[in-house]
Amino acid sequence: MERRKLLIGFVQGIGVVTAGVLGIPALIFGIAPALERRKEWWQPVGPLASFPVGPVTRAVVPVPRGDEASALREKAVFVWRPTAAETVVYSRNCTDLSCPVNWDPGSEWFFCPCHGGIFDKEGNPRAGPPSRPLYRYANRIRDDILEIDLLSLPPMT
Amino acid sequence: MLSAIRRRALQQAERSRRWVVDRFGLGPVWRHFLDRRVAKGSWYYGDGATLLTLLGVMVATGALMTLTYSPSPDTAFDSVVAITREQPLGNFIRGLHYWTAGLMVVMLFSHLFRILLVGGYKSPREGTYYVGVGMFVLVLTMAFTGYVLRWDTRAMYAIRVVLHMFNRVPLLGDELAIIVQGGTEIGARTLSRFFSVHVVMIPLLLLALAGWHLYLVVLHGTTSLRERREPVPSAEAQRRLYDEQKHSDKYGEMFFPETTAKSGGMALVVFLVAVALAVILGPPLPNPEANLVETVFPMEEWWYAWYSTMIALLPPWLAVPIVVLLPLFVLGFLLLLPLLDRSPWRGVRKRPIFSGAIVVTAALLVVLSEIRIQSPWTGWPREQPPTVPPGIELTELAERGRQLFADKGCTSCHAVAGDGRKVGPDFARSDERLSRKEIREFVLEPERGTPMPAYEGRLTDAELGALVEYVLVAQTFEREQR
Repeated sequence: MERRKLLIGFVQGIGVVTAGVLGIPALIFGIAPALERRKEWWQPVGPLASFPVGPVTRAVVPVPRGDEASALREKAVFVWRPTAAETVVYSRNCTDLSCPVNWDPGSEWFFCPCHGGIFDKEGNPRAGPPSRPLYRYANRIRDDILEIDLLSLPPMT
Repeated sequence: MLSAIRRRALQQAERSRRWVVDRFGLGPVWRHFLDRRVAKGSWYYGDGATLLTLLGVMVATGALMTLTYSPSPDTAFDSVVAITREQPLGNFIRGLHYWTAGLMVVMLFSHLFRILLVGGYKSPREGTYYVGVGMFVLVLTMAFTGYVLRWDTRAMYAIRVVLHMFNRVPLLGDELAIIVQGGTEIGARTLSRFFSVHVVMIPLLLLALAGWHLYLVVLHGTTSLRERREPVPSAEAQRRLYDEQKHSDKYGEMFFPETTAKSGGMALVVFLVAVALAVILGPPLPNPEANLVETVFPMEEWWYAWYSTMIALLPPWLAVPIVVLLPLFVLGFLLLLPLLDRSPWRGVRKRPIFSGAIVVTAALLVVLSEIRIQSPWTGWPREQPPTVPPGIELTELAERGRQLFADKGCTSCHAVAGDGRKVGPDFARSDERLSRKEIREFVLEPERGTPMPAYEGRLTDAELGALVEYVLVAQTFEREQR
């Protein structure tokens, strides 16, 4: 009977050791992208002078990367300069579920194609499910070039 | 002489058959799985066999497509186009995969609703039910990850929507989104991850669970006819009642070939519907290749349309929790149900409120999906002004107003006589007609709380005059134009 108990414990031990040796590295391997995070990632939007004060302008920001995703090496954002001193860079993500909003120069509002989210020029939600204003990238001007920090917004933007 | 040879050949064949049955262990399979008596169910109990058949079709067509599909962001889209347009029968195989997926989601919901209606989660079938709930979650995940692999613009925003849902999780939101995306930006690792989940991980799990589910269905049987009419207080009572029925002539039958003929027939019909859809409609045409630059109008696949409608129509304060909590709430409800519902009654008649709620839910899914097709909540820029109804000629001033109606973005939300977006009111045959002065004031400064931009300072007097003139005339148009 002692021998039987010992063997049962041994078999269970095999299971625990195997699961642990495999499971813990598996977990770390799976969540690796969250462990190797950068803090900031500044990228140029364009010369500040190319964005007139007043209207909302669509701009394309380079997203340089090592992997082969060539079609994804740039993304569109919206630039708005309410005054000469102030610059706003909106992400295209609707704050409801990240569908890409579209700027309508006629009504001067942003429209989301998915669930009826509508935002005004200031980025405030005016209709539909969104409750938060449009995301604004952290921006700075260096040598007259407008730059944004791609990591200043949540990862899906 | 000839008959002797024939007899010997037949004996040899019989010996060979027995050898195969013995050496490959087919005897127990025959005795315990096929050649046994079971209690009868209704004809629609074939929905399980149908799902199993559709799963097989998905595995076969999916495995075939991996022969051509390239899970790299630079070639994925092109390989999907190549399967669809160039490869012999590629259009059929992809079409079958697509339509089988859609029918599988439909059958999955009807199977779940049917199980809830007949009390299929009650003792002793809780285990069968829980394994089924696991497969429900996995199949719904498959029905989402699958269309990400097309790597078109729809895929881009499908990924973002789901990342956004993960991002809503308190505290760990950013980390979860990064783990799913494989980095802070969408890229090659994102595609690898979705490919791995859709093609390797979930299929392995799903096949294992399907086998387990089937084993439990054989072990515990399906909800028999008398179980649905008589009170069954315990697992022991159920087993007695079930055994009584399976040996009776009226309530019992042979699993093979009687039960299998019925359920197999249903599976065949649904499979042929998928084949017909694949042949007639084919797979959806690819959207533009994945990018984050072009203006796009993404949409979920039709089997998730009801969810979209719910997000769009619920009030904002409810919509946010619903996005994250509703799936958890539904899952929690499904998991707790067998523990909470201990009444001895199964079937529909003795449980009118519960059954009614299930039927209403099913109907609601259909209605919500139907509303999604209209999407009356979506505003979108559009260059052409509303058409003028036939037989009507506008004055020069009103015609100028009609052009301004488009130039100033009125058409982004307002239709006139059914032509255009339905976010704001359609002016034709408006229930409350506004005077020139009222329209003028509303355009310049809309009533507080109206989701409409103020045009104060953005229109010249002449422009405003023309616009108001057009709206005034539009109010007299017939509501629908042919």
